[in-house]
Amino acid sequence: MNQSDPITIAVIQYPGTNCEYETASAVEAAGMSAEIFRWNRHPEELIRFDGYVLAGGFSYQDRVRAGAIAAKKQIIGTLIREAAIGKPVLGICNGAQILIESGLVPGNHPGHVEMSLASNAAAGWRGYFCDWVYLRCQEKGASGAFNLDFTPGEIIPMPVAHAEGRFVSSDPALLDRITQSDQIAFRYCDAEGRYQPSFPINPNGSFLNAAGIYNPEGNVLAFMPHPERAAWMRQIPLDLDGSLRTATLEHCRMPGPGLRFFTSMKRFISNRRTGR
Amino acid sequence: MNTNRIVPISRHTHDESLRDLLKKLNIGMTPPEARKIVSILGRDPHIVELFIFDIEWSEHCSYKSSRSTLKKYLPTDAPNVILGPGEDSGIIRFTDALDGETYSIVIAHESHNHPSQVLPVEGAATGIGGIVRDVDCMGAHVCAVADGLRFGNPAGAQPARTRWIIRGVVDGIWQYGNAMGVPNLAGDVYFDDSFDDNCLVNVVSLGIVKTSRIIRSRVPTEARNEPYDLILAGKPTDSSGFGGVTFASDILDASQDDKRRGAVQVHDPFIKNILIMRKANRAVLDLAFERDIPIGMKDLGGGGLACASSEICSASGFGAEIDLDCVHTSMDDLPPEVIACGETQERFIFAVPRSFTREVLDIYNTVWELPAEANGAGARCIGRVLEEPIYRIRHHGEVVCEAPIEQITSGIRYERADCECRHEGMEPEGLPPDNLADALLSILGSLNGCSRLPIYRHYDTEVQGAAVLRPGEADAGVIAPLELTENCPAGIALSVDGNPNVGAIDPYWGGATAVAEAMRNVVATGAIPRALTDCLNYGNPENPSAFRQFVDGVRGIADAARQLSQLDLPDAPVAVVSGNVSFYNESAQGLAIKPSPIVACVGTMPDFARAMTIHFKNPGNRIILVGERRPELGGSAYYRIVRGVDGTKPLTVKWREERAAMAAVHTLISHGYACACHDISDGGFATALAEMCLSHRRTRLLGAHVVFTQPPIPADQFLFAETGGFILEIPPDHLKECTAILNASGGVWYDCGCVTETPELLIEIAQTARIHLPVQDMRLAWLRGLEEIV
Repeated sequence: MNQSDPITIAVIQYPGTNCEYETASAVEAAGMSAEIFRWNRHPEELIRFDGYVLAGGFSYQDRVRAGAIAAKKQIIGTLIREAAIGKPVLGICNGAQILIESGLVPGNHPGHVEMSLASNAAAGWRGYFCDWVYLRCQEKGASGAFNLDFTPGEIIPMPVAHAEGRFVSSDPALLDRITQSDQIAFRYCDAEGRYQPSFPINPNGSFLNAAGIYNPEGNVLAFMPHPERAAWMRQIPLDLDGSLRTATLEHCRMPGPGLRFFTSMKRFISNRRTGR
Repeated sequence: MNTNRIVPISRHTHDESLRDLLKKLNIGMTPPEARKIVSILGRDPHIVELFIFDIEWSEHCSYKSSRSTLKKYLPTDAPNVILGPGEDSGIIRFTDALDGETYSIVIAHESHNHPSQVLPVEGAATGIGGIVRDVDCMGAHVCAVADGLRFGNPAGAQPARTRWIIRGVVDGIWQYGNAMGVPNLAGDVYFDDSFDDNCLVNVVSLGIVKTSRIIRSRVPTEARNEPYDLILAGKPTDSSGFGGVTFASDILDASQDDKRRGAVQVHDPFIKNILIMRKANRAVLDLAFERDIPIGMKDLGGGGLACASSEICSASGFGAEIDLDCVHTSMDDLPPEVIACGETQERFIFAVPRSFTREVLDIYNTVWELPAEANGAGARCIGRVLEEPIYRIRHHGEVVCEAPIEQITSGIRYERADCECRHEGMEPEGLPPDNLADALLSILGSLNGCSRLPIYRHYDTEVQGAAVLRPGEADAGVIAPLELTENCPAGIALSVDGNPNVGAIDPYWGGATAVAEAMRNVVATGAIPRALTDCLNYGNPENPSAFRQFVDGVRGIADAARQLSQLDLPDAPVAVVSGNVSFYNESAQGLAIKPSPIVACVGTMPDFARAMTIHFKNPGNRIILVGERRPELGGSAYYRIVRGVDGTKPLTVKWREERAAMAAVHTLISHGYACACHDISDGGFATALAEMCLSHRRTRLLGAHVVFTQPPIPADQFLFAETGGFILEIPPDHLKECTAILNASGGVWYDCGCVTETPELLIEIAQTARIHLPVQDMRLAWLRGLEEIV
């Protein structure tokens, strides 16, 4: 492949997906081209893309479990094969649930479900939760495709919006392995970066405050918060501690922290092409 | 016609026996109305015809009690209005974008009160589901919803039931809106005993459409020249929601709850997402515009297929022929009246040229695979447009309805009697409390004064990526719906308001203050109010005093909309472009709700980056109070919570002063002189000032110190009067410009203090009163008010 070929990303759209448009906009703002790809198109058409984003929403109305039905569709088989040759796959919110339900994350045995994204369990809240939280990037440096453009330990604000975002597994050894092999890309924290387990700092009760988990190879990320909703400064609330947003249009249009998930993705793809 | 299913109305010469017959059939109309059908048709009606007329003549569909009052008073036109009331939504001009296109705002407002009382989750969810269809079917992209909620007292006579309703309604709103993918950006909530037996769930939806691509709810005139089909798209028809309209047009009898539940519709946001969220419906419209094919489109709401198919055809003078055997159903052997009139959700009707029908069906059935992916949903051709104005329905080959179409859709009118109804209130006795700090804390911690965070944290405010200011951050929700797609920074502000405690004392001022408050909220974000919608929630219109409350409320809304007018167009009212009337909000015991007009105001601003939040930004900045405090505390939070009375003097609006204050504040914000703005409403100046120090997100809180040396009225009234006004935070270097603008406005204003680094609220009034509170204490009370309730 030629280094100068445009990078194209498929944003996967299922019935019930509802974040595909703004996700595609974020992909484009990062300098890649995005195509919204309907789930029932021929799976072979997926192969020509350089990377994939499973956008958020409520695919199949979260029937059975969130992401469970979408993970059984033909398109996922193709994604598993493309991920196996190293292409980056980002699952956001419902997309993360689909990656967990398809076994792409934690990814020891793609196609086999190892974990679950369970109902939020936070003292003081029931049901769906939507608000801004803080995340801290893994402190030892990026272990995968989507946080290359973050400094180790960097703290960023981002919104979460889900009712099932608690990473769990019945196998304690699996959680140990995920931790030890640096598969936790981002963890919920307070504005100072402390990993407080309490609600709402950890909004869903996830183990070790995990907000996003990589596969062992680091090219697939299941991520519960919404980077496409923090992709421009204008989206960041003014009453967040340390909010940098000002009242000028020029500043509002500058990239927000969420955009760096997509610029990292672009860097990862460019690096793959040059063999770095 | 099958004679077994002809209803022998003419055989019943006595009202008593006819009433029994109608009741047995579950028909809501009166005996004289039933006889009118016989005279229209020249024969006894088929049961299907009887149901159709019953629906079309219901209060819900025909506005039979309210129409003449609405027409007489409400201003519905202004230079920016593209479409006033009459179709599913109102439309106003929004902005020009870089692509040379003009964009418009589509807005609709409805109630789903009765269903939410008997089945809260389903009732509230289908409320959202219905209102977004109204906006979508104008060709718009739905980009926000909001809701005005009125609940009973969770510590009142029926605490368990009331909490069940509160939780159910909130769950219904998030389960539907979040799943479909529309941000919830605004709303208001009141708790009051008068809503124990009759909660109010009002829903507002807002959309964006290219002005050149507005779709009308009518068959295009081209249908005179070529055959047009009628296509039904969406969920398969079932028996849910049969009789919903009649239910909405009756009083609520708790003993009938079980029976009524069948009349509540069932929600399916999954199918709705496929239909409207830039998926299947969008594909149909895009194709039609690309090929220049004129089509009509309408949503199926109250009255189901019969209502929508007759209205879309009669709106342009056509007739229709529907074949019920072609309708996709989810169960066999549904009676024809259920297929025709049931209110199964998630359905639309299209009128398209026959040459286009196949492609439209393919979009739903093949491209989006609705039949396989969504339990038998899909699209079917279910009939055709007739040149002659006849409305005909066939079932199993037999005609089950045939009537002049305009007779079906034109409804009926009543002139209702009204009589005055005086509010019996009391002014407080004795002296005001010594400790006004405690009074402020109790207001901040009260059900009606505390943070709504436990409610709106369930709502997805971020989806679509266009949120600028969310609930809790500002007085109105603000979105920039064209920023992402068109690089156009124009913003829209949306607020929903109506204090039932004002309407209870004086229904006229209840209407007028709802408009003023909604407009003030929009102005406080920096936007200019451009249009209003109203949902008028009242008791039984056949009761003359309840009807008078309605008329007075409408007059109040109308006067405020005209007098306050558009800030840059003094002669143009802020037009009421859409709305809904909900009568019969009373229990079988005759307990009516407080008169509750709920008003939504939509405003626009050229640059969303200038949108203003309520939170203090920098210590040392000046605090400016705009607007005189007046001694009219009837219905105020202070009277009700602290003094234990309703009061007698309602909150009013002084048109000229109010308008001048709004204009001055808008000027200040648009020049960039202010850095926070909050309007004064429930709880008065002291509460508004406290709220500017409060935020659930911030951990580094700021305080405020203000001093008044010569307040014109007693200190407690000055602090807690809910007279409209604004509090502004102004950096010292803009104080000069600010002074000039406020002086020129001619209104009263005070440069009363400054923002402080110390997180304490300190209010000093002459030598007479003082409030000194740590912001953290206020925050705890404010955040805990709804704990354990939602």
